[in-house]
Amino acid sequence: MTQTKDPQVSRRNFMKAAIFTIGGVIGGAIGIPAIPYIIGPALKQGDEGWVRLGAVSKVEVNVPTLFKTTIETQTGWISTDEEFSVYVLTENGQDFTSISNVCTHLGCRVRWIPEREGFFCPCHNGVFAKDGSVVSGPPPRPLNRFESKIEDGILFVKRGS
Amino acid sequence: MLAKLGDWLDERFQWRQVWEAIFLRKIPHVNWFYTLGSATLFVATLQGITGILLTFYYVPDPTHAYDSVVYITTQLPMGWFIRGLHHWGASAMIVLVVAHMLRVFFYGAYKYPREMTWITGVFLLLVVVGFGFTGYLLPWDQKAYWATTVGTKIAGVAPFVGDWILRIARGGPELSAVTLARFFGTHVWVLPASLAALIGVHLYLIIRIGISAVPEKDE
Repeated sequence: MTQTKDPQVSRRNFMKAAIFTIGGVIGGAIGIPAIPYIIGPALKQGDEGWVRLGAVSKVEVNVPTLFKTTIETQTGWISTDEEFSVYVLTENGQDFTSISNVCTHLGCRVRWIPEREGFFCPCHNGVFAKDGSVVSGPPPRPLNRFESKIEDGILFVKRGS
Repeated sequence: MLAKLGDWLDERFQWRQVWEAIFLRKIPHVNWFYTLGSATLFVATLQGITGILLTFYYVPDPTHAYDSVVYITTQLPMGWFIRGLHHWGASAMIVLVVAHMLRVFFYGAYKYPREMTWITGVFLLLVVVGFGFTGYLLPWDQKAYWATTVGTKIAGVAPFVGDWILRIARGGPELSAVTLARFFGTHVWVLPASLAALIGVHLYLIIRIGISAVPEKDE
């Protein structure tokens, strides 16, 4: 056994430092990966991407037309099929506006009633005009719109925007 | 300032004596085989931490168990690492407790006055094996399912009480959702509580009675 030459670092203090260093490294090796592991799902962005609605020829001029489709959403390890509905409006047959059917008040589904020329929300009597602007009732802002595109006569909307 | 605060706290907690009793106690001149117990304790702690982290996502239900394990391993950041530690740590536990037991056995360290240390150690071994057996089912994959089918069937061949043991272990005649749930409950509640209690007694005895020296050749 060799004696410590430097009297300032005793055997005991060296061991102490070594134990704390190794302990710190091991603690970090587990503690640091635990952080992304726990907060990972919280940082995940919502599903974005283009959702295929259907043939654009289905849309009549000046009448909001409902497109229904199902989209698969993945939450954790469970994937669910969700119904996704969008009203599409065109005034000239060239430019299409995709309007969400979710009421901006509390999230009920609004319905286009042709005879009364408006979107009606069944929950609190919110009424929206053809272009989604608020006519009456509690909704604080117009119906949301989706970014849309047309490829080969098929209409797509961008989800999560 | 910090030293003053430490003194102030120690006057109230009286922890320094405890610290000294645990870490500054006199031990005989020993060799590296004497670290196997501490190594086991370290891995057991690691299993506890990684196990708690796994319960953040794992679901003990036949419809979701496997999917949640796949989610942990492939989707979560560092999930593969946490699960990997728990997976390999489980094997390390078995290896370490057996090696530790062999060291104690061949050095005759179980003799008077340390019989109770040995006996609590025997129960600790059983708890660790129980952890291995119940944990093996939880991923709910083919290997897990059939290993538990076989394992519970082995218990079933015990004379007279075998069928009862099999039914109690499975929660019915067949392996089912009930089996998975009770294995999970045992794995995360019953066994950890038993382990903690037994380790408490085991460590108390090691500190109170002390450890035995390496036996002489003619002993």
